[in-house]
Amino acid sequence: MQSLSWLIAGISALPFALAGEVDIGVLGLITMLLALGTLLLGIGVLWRRRRARAWAIALEVVCLLGAAVLLVLPIGYNSGVVSLMVNVALPIAVIVLLRKDSSQAFA
Amino acid sequence: MFDIAPDHAIGLYAALVALPVALLGLKLRRASALVPGTVLGASVLMAMSGAIHLGLVWTHRDEAFTAALFVMNGVAYIALSQTYTWRWWRPASVALITATLLGYLGYIVLNFDTPDQVAIATKLIELTALGLVLVPVRGARPWRRLRWSALGVALPVLTIVTVATVWVDALARPDAQHVHAGAVLQQTNDVATPEQVAAAQRLYDQTTAAIAPYRDWRTAWAAGYRPGGSQTMPSTHWMNQRYVDAGYVMDPQHPQGLVYANTKHGPVLLGAMFQMKHLGEFGPDPGGPLTAWHQHEDVCFTPFGIEFSLMTPTATCPVGSIDISAPPMLHVWIVDNPAGRFAVDIDDKVVRKIDQG
Repeated sequence: MQSLSWLIAGISALPFALAGEVDIGVLGLITMLLALGTLLLGIGVLWRRRRARAWAIALEVVCLLGAAVLLVLPIGYNSGVVSLMVNVALPIAVIVLLRKDSSQAFA
Repeated sequence: MFDIAPDHAIGLYAALVALPVALLGLKLRRASALVPGTVLGASVLMAMSGAIHLGLVWTHRDEAFTAALFVMNGVAYIALSQTYTWRWWRPASVALITATLLGYLGYIVLNFDTPDQVAIATKLIELTALGLVLVPVRGARPWRRLRWSALGVALPVLTIVTVATVWVDALARPDAQHVHAGAVLQQTNDVATPEQVAAAQRLYDQTTAAIAPYRDWRTAWAAGYRPGGSQTMPSTHWMNQRYVDAGYVMDPQHPQGLVYANTKHGPVLLGAMFQMKHLGEFGPDPGGPLTAWHQHEDVCFTPFGIEFSLMTPTATCPVGSIDISAPPMLHVWIVDNPAGRFAVDIDDKVVRKIDQG
């Protein structure tokens, strides 16, 4: 879901790139690459790869910290239900679900 | 799209109540130890979605058909959230979630409902539940390939179609306060009174006279105005940070911003922009509906090249950009803008004509 969310964010930048906002277009492409990376991490977690688990936790921690900083800054960051679900609850859920490193579960 | 409809708020409370109840239910049932975690996750999410649908029945009791659908949907979700050991649980769950998602999309396309935060959150819960239902688990041989295919193709397609439909609907059918993508208009009376027309004319005349020297961009530069965005775009806002910090309120002598067309002959002055200091604090509105302020909300801003895009319905921005909202602003266009002298935007055709001229 997180990968899809980033994929949509990446795609959403493309019309702005076509309108002349080149940097937003580049960021959109980078975002789509991040979406692909996140998808691969998800597959790695499903395949019980320990490195994928570590990377996934690291990614979620970064997302969570980023969202926390943006929520605290007075910049009008969206604090609606969907924003809290996608940018706070989802990373927390993934971290909680992946926190147990059983040697039987992950190789 | 980024608000909560008053008649949908109850659904949110129902989901918040359902979450701990569903988790407690899993703890108490022995059968939960026999199924994979993905199934338990889907069970909890379906219980939440069921609670949301049942919660909405009360506020939609005047719409018999919709209320009946909510009841059926809610009951089916709750039932499936408790029958995860049933042999046909997965096909039944996939069918229910897919039908609910497509049904909702039909509802908003037909304009029976407008998407809000509760609706989008519910759809994300359902899509996540669908993903968890489809994930093949170790040892489960039957339908494995089909489930991977559904997870890899059908779920992404369904997610993108859902989000795109919600977004297109919100942009194509904005409410009265969201006439412009990412901008919220100040609430005013509907038709300007003669006094308001006269006041708007006064504001226009005073501002036009005050910014006349800035037709030469060098004078604006000397006064402290600096381009606040990409100059490869048709027009650019030049901001005066000193005036922004000083907090002048709609002072024609000290407009916080100027708007220039980026033409092959250099910057051409299009108008002025007044801006308030704080979010949600709309300025004085002497012209009523003619001089309504607007506030840009949920805009993705990147410092790389100072460019903008819009936040998606799933509340994400491209990496390297952040979601921001800008305090209320009011434009005064000194060129002939078909949308109006105080419109949110300048017409692109006007800018093109100036460039060609």
